[in-house]
Amino acid sequence: MKTIDPVTLATPFFILTVILEIVLARFGKLKATYETSDTAVSLTMGLISSLAGLLTAGASFAAAMWIYQHRLFTIPMTAVWAWIAVFLLEDLTYYWFHRLSHERRFWWAAHVNHHSSQHYNLSTALRQTWTGGLAGTWALWLPLSLIGFPPAMVAIQKGVSLVYQYWIHTEAIRRLPKPFEAVLNTPSHHRVHHARNPRYLDSNYAGILIVWDRMFGTFQPELDEEACRYGLVHNLGTFNIVRVAFHEWIGIVQDIVRQPRHILGWLFGPPGWSPDGSRDTSASLKAQWAARQGAPPTVPAKDAV
Amino acid sequence: MNALLIQFAVSAVAVALMVALAAWGTRGRARPALDEATARRWLADEFPGRAIDGLWLASDGKGAIAKSGDDALVLSRMGVGYAARRVAWVKAEAATVKDGRVRIPLADVAAPRAVLAMAAWPPKEFSA
Ligand SMILES: [Zn+2]
Ligand SMILES: [Zn+2]
Repeated sequence: MKTIDPVTLATPFFILTVILEIVLARFGKLKATYETSDTAVSLTMGLISSLAGLLTAGASFAAAMWIYQHRLFTIPMTAVWAWIAVFLLEDLTYYWFHRLSHERRFWWAAHVNHHSSQHYNLSTALRQTWTGGLAGTWALWLPLSLIGFPPAMVAIQKGVSLVYQYWIHTEAIRRLPKPFEAVLNTPSHHRVHHARNPRYLDSNYAGILIVWDRMFGTFQPELDEEACRYGLVHNLGTFNIVRVAFHEWIGIVQDIVRQPRHILGWLFGPPGWSPDGSRDTSASLKAQWAARQGAPPTVPAKDAV
Repeated sequence: MNALLIQFAVSAVAVALMVALAAWGTRGRARPALDEATARRWLADEFPGRAIDGLWLASDGKGAIAKSGDDALVLSRMGVGYAARRVAWVKAEAATVKDGRVRIPLADVAAPRAVLAMAAWPPKEFSA
């Protein structure tokens, strides 16, 4: 089936804006920090990811087509209401995909790559996984085809979401006007998502609409008194791209080989889970942080945007 | 297939161009050497609540090793920050200096080793 791919269409725009961000930062016109090895890793991850995606794209699209043949309703691709519906439902699916990708190690192993830069600039957006297809999360979008959205329509909306999320990977934009910050995922909200500060961990999973985080209790505003520090809880100590791409998968295998009877915990526990609790999870880091502050880790609702 | 190959080749060239541009954009912006105050701040952030019994800075300013009880807390420069790892002190102590650098295995696929410029290692006051 011939369909349009928003990501391919947007690629020249990605390249031009990265160039612009580097040049303007060099002349002090906007806030952005780049580092050569980091940029090389991020962009190469993105380049290879587009190839890796092709390997599983056929299988996942075929699965969606098969499900679509058993659909409950027939939703026309030409109706405006259908596009509004797919926009909302795809974004809701993305929220849960993204939350799963952070809360369970098996899926974190594929998603961790996107978070392993200590920088936050437009090139970070292109730091994409090579193993997302293997992690099988594409299956989360199949129910949309079962409802009756044509697979091509779902694929287009997924692409639109990815392109939307590109531009929010920047420190150059501080805050948008309040109504936008209230409804949309913005550079400010997504900076928090990429931060390793304990109080910012595991929040703002949104794709396009931040309302899902507000609804499901994972929203955390960016606070002026706490600047985001980016990267992983345990930052990478290498720019070797093979290690960058596969370290969490290798870690899982090493743990299972060492203690096979804990295989379920090693695979599906939260990242940082260990049988004796000797490692740090987001929850334990947040609790330790809160204990040091003598306050609960969440922000009172009145402080939220 | 051909169109895909061309697309990939063009993207690869664009990546090379952007990396070269990033190198130009950051030229002449050397990171300051890690001093004691900064090292202590990093250690306090990465290992909150850990007492520091001793701290040794790399002579090239690219990292540090701290002793905290039976553990060694290792900082090694990664881009704008530092990769921090905890290993048993006996393991860190057993590392030897070669060509003015001590190589401490960190037993982590995501951070296999720290290579730190140290004239002498292990520190006399703590060596067994
Ligand atoms: Zn994420
Ligand atoms: Zn992101």
